[in-house]
Amino acid sequence: MSNQYITNKEQLLSNLVGYVESRELIAEREKIGSDFSEDKGKNTAEIAKLHPKRLNLEVTEIFQETPSTKTFRVRSARGALPPFQAGQYINLFVNIDGVETARPYAISSCPTHRDYYDLTVKIVKGGFVTNYLLNDVEVGQTFSATSPIGTFYYNPIIHGKKLVFLAGGSGGAPARAMIESVLSRGVDADFYLVYGNSFAEDVIFQDTFRALAQKHENFHVMEVISRPEEGYEGLTGYLTGELINEAVSGVDEVMFYVCGPTPFNDFCKSELKALSVADKRIRIECNGPPKNPSSIQNWPTEVSEEEMVTVKVRGKGEFKAQVGEPLLNSLERNGYFVENACRSGECSLCRVKLVEGEVFNPPEAKLRKSDETFGWVHSCVAFPTSDIEILY
Amino acid sequence: MSNLEKYDAVIIGAGNGGLTAAATLARGGAKTLLLERHNIPGGCATSFVRGDFEFEVALHQLSGLGTEKNPFIMRKIFNELGVMDKVEFVEEHHLYRMTIKDEFDITLPASWKGIREVLIENFPDEEQGIKDYMLLCERVVLESFMGFKAALKMNSEDMLMKNSKHYAEYGLRSAKSVLDKHFSDEQLKTLLAAYWCYLGQAPRNINFVDLAMMLYAYGVFKPWHIEGGSQALSNALLESFLEAGGEVQFNAAVDQIITDKSGDKPKVIAICTEHGDVYETEQVISNASSVVTFVDLLDTDELPEGISQDFKSREIGTSAFCLYIGLDCPPETLGIKNASTFMGTTMDEDLMVETMATLNPPVATMLTCYNVDDPSFAPPGKSQVSLLCLQYGKVWDDVPVEDYADTKYAFAEHLIEQAEEFFPGFRSHIEEIEVATPLTMQRYLNTPGGSIYGFIQNPEDGEIHRPRYDQVEGLHMAGCWQGMGGFQPTYMVGQSTAKAVLKKLKAQRLAEQDQTQTQDVKEPANV
Repeated sequence: MSNQYITNKEQLLSNLVGYVESRELIAEREKIGSDFSEDKGKNTAEIAKLHPKRLNLEVTEIFQETPSTKTFRVRSARGALPPFQAGQYINLFVNIDGVETARPYAISSCPTHRDYYDLTVKIVKGGFVTNYLLNDVEVGQTFSATSPIGTFYYNPIIHGKKLVFLAGGSGGAPARAMIESVLSRGVDADFYLVYGNSFAEDVIFQDTFRALAQKHENFHVMEVISRPEEGYEGLTGYLTGELINEAVSGVDEVMFYVCGPTPFNDFCKSELKALSVADKRIRIECNGPPKNPSSIQNWPTEVSEEEMVTVKVRGKGEFKAQVGEPLLNSLERNGYFVENACRSGECSLCRVKLVEGEVFNPPEAKLRKSDETFGWVHSCVAFPTSDIEILY
Repeated sequence: MSNLEKYDAVIIGAGNGGLTAAATLARGGAKTLLLERHNIPGGCATSFVRGDFEFEVALHQLSGLGTEKNPFIMRKIFNELGVMDKVEFVEEHHLYRMTIKDEFDITLPASWKGIREVLIENFPDEEQGIKDYMLLCERVVLESFMGFKAALKMNSEDMLMKNSKHYAEYGLRSAKSVLDKHFSDEQLKTLLAAYWCYLGQAPRNINFVDLAMMLYAYGVFKPWHIEGGSQALSNALLESFLEAGGEVQFNAAVDQIITDKSGDKPKVIAICTEHGDVYETEQVISNASSVVTFVDLLDTDELPEGISQDFKSREIGTSAFCLYIGLDCPPETLGIKNASTFMGTTMDEDLMVETMATLNPPVATMLTCYNVDDPSFAPPGKSQVSLLCLQYGKVWDDVPVEDYADTKYAFAEHLIEQAEEFFPGFRSHIEEIEVATPLTMQRYLNTPGGSIYGFIQNPEDGEIHRPRYDQVEGLHMAGCWQGMGGFQPTYMVGQSTAKAVLKKLKAQRLAEQDQTQTQDVKEPANV
């Protein structure tokens, strides 16, 4: 029956000019073509060359950089690690006392080193993960991590020929990668590092930066200490507009990279704005969820950060959470895994849908317009201000 | 592995085809699970945020919608899918501007009559050819929908030759041959073939009906885009799916389609995700590429024979190299007056196609600026554009990974140089820029070579030559790999595939009911 039909259909279609020729072409190509069965796994392998979903890393060396900072050199048993653009980070998954969580760390080594990444970690007061890394992690420890990700890097198309990195504390980590990368590739640009630290003993990569400045005419470093000991002879104070103006001439042609603790970033931004630097010439690395969300504009004043609310995860369960804690963190502490990377509102990997209730989205949440319309939020910077139900 | 729930249907991938399939199934009462490897629905139909901008990734001009007064098929489909009240469509007022260096610079309006007038005004010597060509486009397109379909249904040669004679005579000829037949002016031919870019193949290698379809559909039913970008429609489709009780998981790639191999042909029984979760189902609609679906996901040792045979005559289609650019000025500052501009330095079709397979500076590029018709596409005083050329993914096979970033920036410079030539000052207004290569497309679409339109669409790859796969019981394809690429075709194929699955499910349910009733009757006798 069906054969009969096909013959008739073929007969009918053969009235279309060009039809028969195409059938003949197909028959010819069938004789010589491949059916792609030899490509099993090829797509995944090709994608993994640049962007594997997970890296399995082992700590092979630990360097004490300053009294408050260590560098963890991590390698993969598989050999070369994926390339990255200097300034990018990996998100390191950790299990601390049974809690599965993660934190993003900028890679401080230069991308020309493919056999390892350096992760430089500075102590954060009360930091859950930094304390664990600095106090408990030894050589031989293994971690799972995302591949390198992030949008904070030198873009040769539009960043121009005068680059200024305003680093604060741990911001020295991506600064080193970016500076070494730009200098080693012979990029035709002048690079200035203005590096602010509270204490003189805390300047990470001090020797490296000084040596690079000696070696390369187009690299300049300026260290600034805000809480100097008596007798300190270098520059002191904050990274004010005045200081920046003195360090670099012609700020309107400069691309500024700003990376440090959030108050540092905010301060630098306002100083640069005061110098009339255009927004597009200021690149600020995101830096975690806001610490005091209730101090941000549009926070519902009737709700306090200490209040407890119920978070219901559709089809999975529910738990109590504190209003002032980012939703992603409370999900993790209650055993729910949500994919994540930047944990600062930007990458959107931790997107969940708010089905019921209210959350506060700070300016850090870089939501797509239609996500806002349909109630999707970035859980890493979303604060539940009422009982909520989510799905993901 | 953990065995979880059972579903009437599972959809692999939340691209256009997957989303319309999912919404159709759930709204049709089927218990449906949608699995997506990424964190967001849409596939190509998505957006991303950089700085002040939310960049549209893939939608240039939505076809098939028609106006409220003169509606076309997509309006009906979006209504059925429950999204018409969830998104705002924005009408564009031009088809495109095409400008070829040292040759011509002509803008076609979004009106069938208007197109004819502009063409005659610019090419008065070709007036009769223009009139004939446009009439032929109209006839071939309408016949392909009506007369030809009816003749096929009735299996009638008489009807075919009587009611679709223009389609029979010209539909499957190459677009180039029909252009050559009507015109002698090379500029006019180049201008009218501009939409080859949306098919990924040179005019000599596309069926006339496909090119005619685009000119007619955009000319009569207007080009559109979506407020908030195609992501808004993807989100709306997902919302409609969820409202109907559908379940979705993001960051959940499918690892395997599990089949029962005891019968004549393999039969879908379950799927397994990357997390090891197994969901029982007898109906799977795959929005992944055909190659990934059958070669990577299907658990049979060898490809089913019909699939293998079809694949042997296929080639992987083109990808694209795309710059997503935020400008610090409104479009008019740079003289961008319409949404879609095709730019080039040559009218040599062979050169255009050859260049797509190299890292040489592109000779044909496209610039889309959404702000022309919709200022909400960027913050006040700014605008976003996408600047792209077609390029085959294999070009990147030989680029060492450590040179990837430098190579992509170097190639991006070529595109910017071309834009600078047609829009002087372009470079100095770039505020944000993100570079996507064919490898980026591959990463986000999981298609071989980062293909954006599926297999190469040579004339012999048209739907008319390629029956829908039925070699695996319960496995259906919904995407651009068994038909045309682009938004309208993939939305449509998702819906029609799901409708067919709903029919099957209904028939199955009726059969089961019959059985239960028969058993009910029998049971008392047994007792």
